[in-house]
Amino acid sequence: MVLYAFIKGVFREAFAKRILLTIFGFFSVLILLFVFGITNSTVEGLQLMLESGSAGGLKEAVLTFESYIVSGIPMFMLVASMLIITSSFVPDMLKKGHIDLLLSKPISRTKIVFGHFIAATLLVLFSFTFLLGSIWILISAKTGYWNVSFLYSIVWFTFIFAVLYSSVMLIGLLSRSNILSLIINMLMFFPTTFLLYLANTYFQSDQKGIVFGPVAESLLKFFYNILPKAWDVQDISVLYVTQSPITNNMPIISSVLFMCVMLSLSIWYFNKKDY
Amino acid sequence: MSVIEINSLTKHYSGKKFSGDKIKALEKVSFNVGNGEIFGLLGPNGAGKTTLVKILLGITFATEGNAMIFDKPVTNVNVKRRVGYLPENHKFPNYLTGEQVIDYFGKLSGLRKSDLDKTTYKYLKMVGMDEWGTTKIKKYSKGMLQRLGLAQAMISNPDLIFLDEPTDGVDPIGRKEIRDVLLDLKSQGKTIFLNSHLLSEIELICDKVAILNKGELIKVGSVDDITSTGNKYIFTTSDLKEDVMNKVLMEYKGTLHGKNEFECNINTVEEVNKIIDYLRSSNVLIHGFNKEKNSLESMFINLIEQKN
Repeated sequence: MVLYAFIKGVFREAFAKRILLTIFGFFSVLILLFVFGITNSTVEGLQLMLESGSAGGLKEAVLTFESYIVSGIPMFMLVASMLIITSSFVPDMLKKGHIDLLLSKPISRTKIVFGHFIAATLLVLFSFTFLLGSIWILISAKTGYWNVSFLYSIVWFTFIFAVLYSSVMLIGLLSRSNILSLIINMLMFFPTTFLLYLANTYFQSDQKGIVFGPVAESLLKFFYNILPKAWDVQDISVLYVTQSPITNNMPIISSVLFMCVMLSLSIWYFNKKDY
Repeated sequence: MSVIEINSLTKHYSGKKFSGDKIKALEKVSFNVGNGEIFGLLGPNGAGKTTLVKILLGITFATEGNAMIFDKPVTNVNVKRRVGYLPENHKFPNYLTGEQVIDYFGKLSGLRKSDLDKTTYKYLKMVGMDEWGTTKIKKYSKGMLQRLGLAQAMISNPDLIFLDEPTDGVDPIGRKEIRDVLLDLKSQGKTIFLNSHLLSEIELICDKVAILNKGELIKVGSVDDITSTGNKYIFTTSDLKEDVMNKVLMEYKGTLHGKNEFECNINTVEEVNKIIDYLRSSNVLIHGFNKEKNSLESMFINLIEQKN
């Protein structure tokens, strides 16, 4: 009951600060652009494929097209924009005069951290559902091929957001500054995880253009293993969308572990901190 | 029965980074607050008043010692169901209306919507804000925000209410109304812990006070005990004849302040009555007599100056 009131309070804040309006406005523009895009060019191409090939050709074309939509760059832009929007939640909560009131209520500090995390994740889940759900309906209605697996991308994108938001929360609690927390996260995770992903791809390939020393290789592997794997999870998302088998669950497991560690640290720090 | 028990409460903050210095916010503070009392906490800026209140509410943690509220440690979250709090310089979300603020913090206090529907208006009316309930609080004045804060602190019908500078920014009529609300709460058996700079206000409504200075408790007791100057009585009378003056001076060890006023140190009620009987038998009209008291403000200033 108290936790529900707290989560509702975060949503009310997002609504009042026009955060929800901004998200849905921005996504509506994206959907409109997509409507024009899909009408003028993409569907014609897909229909040509349909006319020239079998039903399998259409399916393949739709899957390929949808896999572009959930590829790395759109994922980066969507998750990054959501992290920017939600990064002020924790520092705003910690403002003097507000945190005192909150902590004087019969709600544990652990629940406050969880409440914020759940509220931000739900907000992003609804937003991604609106955007990716609309795009899915548009593509499916235009092509006649309803690839339900595409909807898994909503879950995967939200998962990537949740993993990264857990560290945004921790840095927000430590620094009390939304800008600092955002900068650190942007600097830390997207470039490093992308580089580590490339490094890992390199290690797994047979043709190696660059040769790393054993120490550098071990360090790269170490960081790759402990840091969240946004880009690898995005790869898994593409596999889901294209209905391909998932062979490696390690990025999911290690990202979940990273999220658990970040949340535990946030809870530990918040529980011992004087306000 | 004590509602609040504080035993050797100590709080040290770390000073400059890497210096190892400690700032002593509180040093072995101990006192109790009884049920149904209005308790005032006094002290100059930086005395540790807000730190003490924050420790009692679990917002800040003590370095040493312990504090109990309703016989439970202050770190117990469930204790807060019986506690209301109005912080100094509170910041309610300014996108909410007065009613929404009460609704939000009421729900965080564990109240159901049905309970809030019944009580929101009642408490807004109690603090004179019933006509402003549907207005966004960004349009409120400082005084209105304080009144709303008081309603927020009372919404869960708590047994203990902490108020940090509740009349800050409130006009004199509003201050009187808030005092009346506090006295009404006291009559309902609620305990009120008041932190205020307005000593005259504390003197008017508090049963007991504690004075803090530089983190140390320098005095605790009832307002009467703290402001009392001993057993000095001042009599105001009609013109005193010389023989009466002499007797007052010699027998009752009085000090004259002119023909119409004198003071005596009297230890018992019987002695007071004896003087009255003598004055009346000497045809002296008694206009009044009072046990001399210092104001809380002068006592407070004296105590702080002595300590410094």
